[in-house]
Amino acid sequence: MTQELLTDTINGLAAIVLLTSFFLVANTRMHQLVRTFTLQSLALGLFAFFVAYYTGAEHIYLVAVLTIIIKAIIIPRFLDYTIEKIQVKKEVEPLVGIPLSLLICTGLAFIGYYIAEPVIANGNIITKNCLAISVAVVLIGFYLMASRRKAMSEVVALLVIENGLFLAAISITYGMPLIVELGIFFDVFVTVLIMGVFVFKINRTFETLDTRFMRRLRD
Amino acid sequence: MMIELILLLPLIAAAISYFVKQQHVAEAVSMLSGVLQFILALLIAVDVMQNGAIQYGLWYADELSVFMLVIITFLGSMAVAYSFSYIGHDREEHEISGLQLRRYYLLLQLFLFTMLVVVLTNNLGIMWIAIEGTTLTSAFLVGFYEKDTSLEAAWKYLIICSVGISMALFGVVLTYASSVDVAGFPSDSLNWTDLRSVAALLDPTFLRIAFIFILIGYGTKVGFVPMHTWLPDAHSQAPSPISAMLSGVLLNCALYGILRFYIIMQLSVPGFAPDLLLIFGVISLVMAAAFIILAKDFKRLLAYSSIEHMGIIALGFGIGGFLGIFAGLLHMLNHALTKCLMFFGAGNILQKYNTRSIAEVRGLAYIMPITAALFLLGALAITGSPPFSIFLSEVMVLQAGLGAGSYLVVAIYLFAILVIFAAFMYHVSKMLFGKPTEGVVRGEIHHVSLIPMAILLVSILVIGLFLPQQLMDFITKVAALFPGGSR
Amino acid sequence: MVQDVLLNSLFAALQAVTMFALSPLIIGIIRKVKAWFQSRKGSSIWQPYYDLAKLLRKDSTMSKDASWISRATPYIAIASVGVVALMVPFFTTYSLGFVGDLIVVVYLLALFRFFMVLAGMDAGSTFGGMGSSREMMVSSIVEPTMLLAIFTMALITGTTTLSSISYSLAVTGPDLVRPALFLALAAFFISLLAENARVPVDNPATHLELTMIHEGMLLEYSGKQLALMEWASWTKFLLFSAILANVFFPWGIATDLSALGMAVGVIAIIAKVLVIALAVALIESGTSKMRLFRLPNLLTESFTLALLAVMSFYIL
Repeated sequence: MTQELLTDTINGLAAIVLLTSFFLVANTRMHQLVRTFTLQSLALGLFAFFVAYYTGAEHIYLVAVLTIIIKAIIIPRFLDYTIEKIQVKKEVEPLVGIPLSLLICTGLAFIGYYIAEPVIANGNIITKNCLAISVAVVLIGFYLMASRRKAMSEVVALLVIENGLFLAAISITYGMPLIVELGIFFDVFVTVLIMGVFVFKINRTFETLDTRFMRRLRD
Repeated sequence: MMIELILLLPLIAAAISYFVKQQHVAEAVSMLSGVLQFILALLIAVDVMQNGAIQYGLWYADELSVFMLVIITFLGSMAVAYSFSYIGHDREEHEISGLQLRRYYLLLQLFLFTMLVVVLTNNLGIMWIAIEGTTLTSAFLVGFYEKDTSLEAAWKYLIICSVGISMALFGVVLTYASSVDVAGFPSDSLNWTDLRSVAALLDPTFLRIAFIFILIGYGTKVGFVPMHTWLPDAHSQAPSPISAMLSGVLLNCALYGILRFYIIMQLSVPGFAPDLLLIFGVISLVMAAAFIILAKDFKRLLAYSSIEHMGIIALGFGIGGFLGIFAGLLHMLNHALTKCLMFFGAGNILQKYNTRSIAEVRGLAYIMPITAALFLLGALAITGSPPFSIFLSEVMVLQAGLGAGSYLVVAIYLFAILVIFAAFMYHVSKMLFGKPTEGVVRGEIHHVSLIPMAILLVSILVIGLFLPQQLMDFITKVAALFPGGSR
Repeated sequence: MVQDVLLNSLFAALQAVTMFALSPLIIGIIRKVKAWFQSRKGSSIWQPYYDLAKLLRKDSTMSKDASWISRATPYIAIASVGVVALMVPFFTTYSLGFVGDLIVVVYLLALFRFFMVLAGMDAGSTFGGMGSSREMMVSSIVEPTMLLAIFTMALITGTTTLSSISYSLAVTGPDLVRPALFLALAAFFISLLAENARVPVDNPATHLELTMIHEGMLLEYSGKQLALMEWASWTKFLLFSAILANVFFPWGIATDLSALGMAVGVIAIIAKVLVIALAVALIESGTSKMRLFRLPNLLTESFTLALLAVMSFYIL
């Protein structure tokens, strides 16, 4: 593989990660949401793989494999299982209409570019441009979190934020120390499991996953 | 060696208390583990004070770590001691099952474990993982009663803190990125000691952005306004000993995370971190005052008071200088002790009256005189009345502020604590006096619980009245770790 | 210089004529493929020619309420499509690029639409008005999308003339391929479906009053005028396909005057247009028409894609 083609591939995969987060905003069904997330994680895993190939850093290969196994296989399966099990109504029901959401997210992507700009100007590594994308993905994750009211969508939103951070970690530092990387994987995994447990409990107690019904606690 | 041991203790205790299916075993093991952890913490503290920081492998313990270690383990064992009566009472009332009771001790020990890792690790990445771990372990404790309100609180806690923490991860990533270009720096090191030694060479652009994210991220767990929304819910819904742990220890742990970065920031970009802390401190103080006036639920009242005190600590570090930093550290200790006392008292009241509403608690002084006395003294202490220890640290913050010439901040600070004092006393006096609520039988709810409360009261009195020389020296040494914090 | 202009004009005219000649065939092929997917035999692929011939032999009737707009619209339609056809590269990059760039192209097409919308309301029939208002709703999002998508390509190649974009891409080869290209391509493809009243935006095969957009505006036309309008619409579809093929994937297009190059160019564009037609037929067979109020979702998605395409040009 030539150098140029390699960087193009890396940038292209980063673009796919951004694109899929837009699809997540536009998705209206739970399973669709999970599938798009799977796609995003897959792109992220491949991104890590090519960065590993590019830098020759062996531990990033491990990270790539773990990303694909945990984020693109295990977690989506678990989410699908949860959705099926609790018979949640499959529509996502965003608070803000999809066209407006998409425009807002485009705005967020631009903001991401401006936040990342000083860092981009400062850095001297090839994947530094991906930082802008990762900030955008994180911001879109926040937007998803704020605009969705189903407990399940909030879990997916959190995962999107994690994916964005992960992209940032790989693109500006070529990965963190291995032990930290492993710990973060473990953390994400456990977080999702615990949230799954709570989703079950919430569903049992409230007979809905709509967090708008959880408004008892206020001043 | 001692570090591994102190980390192993809660894990062993967790396993035993869960797998041995007897309530008394679970309680005894937890208590034993708590006390042993405290003793070990003291031993490590003495070692560090005499021989300097311990550093090997992933672990690192300097004066700041052991200061936190002592707070965590002391309050941890207090919380376990209080749990006997509180959780035991729930079990007697059949509010929880035997399995739940064992699970409670399991989670409590795991919670302690994650907090110990936070203060004992050298690696900032592992610290992040451990702080996220505290959220995960305590989320189940917050939602312990599995009622609708407690599930709501737990879900909010889980989501808001996870999101906040993920911001902090971004900060950690950027901090790491700032070190990538430093020549001769081990490229895979996120060790705090390594970063501190090259702090002046780190990329300041990265660091500035990193600190903002760290402050917002860990600040969510500290409970800085406006990221505090999870805090009153979680504190009011969790079992009272857990509320005490959250408020007294967990918030401090998150703050510890910020302080580690604060030190690096001060070495690299002096003045940036304190200014941000000042801003968050003032906002938290003012907003907490407003919420305290309006409080209707006495556990939420205490939660908002925690936000207030985190604000005061932030002010201390924001003002800086020896006095400011010393005051901040002392206040961390004082607040932890006093707030634990208050939450234990609140737990007794809650179980007696079966309500959290301030309006429905009347005549406490008649119904539970000892608890009432302790609660009143605690309330006086938490609002900064002499001769209790919080008075000392609050005055020090004041002095530091005046010394640094931040008069506006000092004015807001004074105004806020006066308002809070008045509002707090208003609420508490209503609860204490008046015609006792009907249908509540006179008599203490449980007597064992009064012992940890009394210990806590004595300790804040001792600090407030005498401020022992050993403690002075200890905290002075901790403050000396901070740039500009030596005497 | 003069020679160049003459040469370009010659080829432009040749390409425009080819496009007008081929457009009914492409529509016929799409219909045939759809018929196969629906397990029907379907009409011959030459059927659109027969239809045109039949309609051109017949007289038109006009509503007595119709004004000159209704009468003029068919000629404006065929004229604007004709001018655009002169400027869009088909099998060779020699075309009248110097007359106007992509902005002229897009707004000539907008002129076509504008008059069609007016004509829809002109006769005062209810369906015409509904069709017109829906068309405006769709086009208000599609038009900027289309502009942005082609604009991305203009950014990549550094020129706003369609034939030059296609020329420089064809000459430079895959080095110019960037993520932006694929984003813009996706956005443009959705615009293509929306602009040409294909499923899932509109259904060209139905006259159901609740759903139709494009057909609603043509309801009042008959005979020769209908023939002109239909032919203009079909050619517009071919034009969009040509822009899609030659702006985003121009490889194979003739960039010089050699006979071999021209032959390759003709084969390449026919293959590319057939692929696009097949894709459209597949989409029409595989998806159902969207509810009108869900349309803005799809269209803003494509707009977002186009916006991202422009942005990713700067970021990546």
